[in-house]
Amino acid sequence: MIRFFLILLLAAFGAIIMQYFIPALPFLSGARVILLPLVFFFGALALPFSGMLALAFACGLMWDALTVQVLDIGMGPTSATVVEIAMGWSIVLYAVLGAIMSGFRPLFQRGRWEIHCLMSGFCTSFMVLAEYLMISVRRAALYNVPFEFNRDIWWRIGGPGLVALILAPAVFFFLKSMAALVGYNPYVVEPQEEEV
Amino acid sequence: MRRFTIFALLVFVLAVGGLFALGPSGTQRAQTSFLGMIAPFLKTGSDLERKITAVRQGLKTLQELETENQQLAVSNKKFLAENQTLRGLEAENNRLRAAMHYRERAVFQLVPARVIARDASSWWNTIKIDRGSADGLESDMPVLTESGLVGKTTTVAEHAATVVLISDENCKVASSIEGTREQGIISGERASGTSQPALCMRFLSKTANLKPEQKVYSSGVGGVFPAGVFIGVIKEFRVRELDGYATLLPAVDLTTLEDVFVVLGKK
Repeated sequence: MIRFFLILLLAAFGAIIMQYFIPALPFLSGARVILLPLVFFFGALALPFSGMLALAFACGLMWDALTVQVLDIGMGPTSATVVEIAMGWSIVLYAVLGAIMSGFRPLFQRGRWEIHCLMSGFCTSFMVLAEYLMISVRRAALYNVPFEFNRDIWWRIGGPGLVALILAPAVFFFLKSMAALVGYNPYVVEPQEEEV
Repeated sequence: MRRFTIFALLVFVLAVGGLFALGPSGTQRAQTSFLGMIAPFLKTGSDLERKITAVRQGLKTLQELETENQQLAVSNKKFLAENQTLRGLEAENNRLRAAMHYRERAVFQLVPARVIARDASSWWNTIKIDRGSADGLESDMPVLTESGLVGKTTTVAEHAATVVLISDENCKVASSIEGTREQGIISGERASGTSQPALCMRFLSKTANLKPEQKVYSSGVGGVFPAGVFIGVIKEFRVRELDGYATLLPAVDLTTLEDVFVVLGKK
């Protein structure tokens, strides 16, 4: 399992780098192609709960390290440096969605690959929506700017989910073959440990 | 619940709690370390992207290359001549300013940088450049091109830096409008559907009589951006309940940026 976990970490790192070279989609109001959740959600289905938590931590940390903004607000004596959204929120989001995905693991272990596809699409859009809600609440407090939802914003939320839905089967079969390569069988049900 | 799962959950909660407790400086340190880690990969990817684009676009015949070379040689001579004239004018301008007891106009030291990656997230507008603290960069340094203002640096690693673009809602620039006494604050929109993002200028007076195509420059208030840098032109002006509000077209095409300059300070 450790070897497969390392493969997933590498795949997550690769996905983050690749994302930077994929341009925004103008026909979806500038929606982005987000690959990192696709790798994570495969891990959430293929790994036991503790492995999913470790992967959620790694993926969330990488995402936050690249997106969190540290801002200087105000001028003169009233100026202050603040973090727009604290580092760690993406980890919590990944962990919560990963826990939901873990609930579908028995279905996945019966060979239902479409679970990854459908849930990746839904959860990717949910993550983008959650990010939008967080920055909207934060900016409303910092700059007193109104909360808005228009057509473009809905496309930017739904677009990454649609793209994830389309790309998910390819990512699924790639990671499944990687698992086979390192001798990890994601469909095996772990023996039950002692309950407390 | 299984013992190991409870233990893993506890470690997870503690680790996330530790991250939440990071202040702005701790967050920036973590970001700098990670940016430094991915910078070589971004540079390699950017080089590869450029090579592929060059191969796709650069397949020219020998005759085309010769014609292009001749045109470039002519342009080069023209720019050299213009540069000489401008240097003379600059010296004359400074001499006259000195005679009039004006302060010599600051000429800025610029560091050229290449864009190695554009933001992959949905709500933030940033780019990564291939210059960092090793080249003298620090956070909050203005970034521009020959056409106008681009943004400012935020996270600075040793050989790479993140630049927040003026089209980001978090990048605010104090600005003034050519030919008027109007001053306002420019920032980006949270989500813009068009390929070229628009900027918005707030806190203008309600009586401002602004017309499309009027030029907007940075005013220098706030200390981050120098005064007089071209930002964009007015697209539309409307009066709101408390202030005047204008939308702007940025001077720089922020979607196709390849090379930028970072303003290090005065020469």
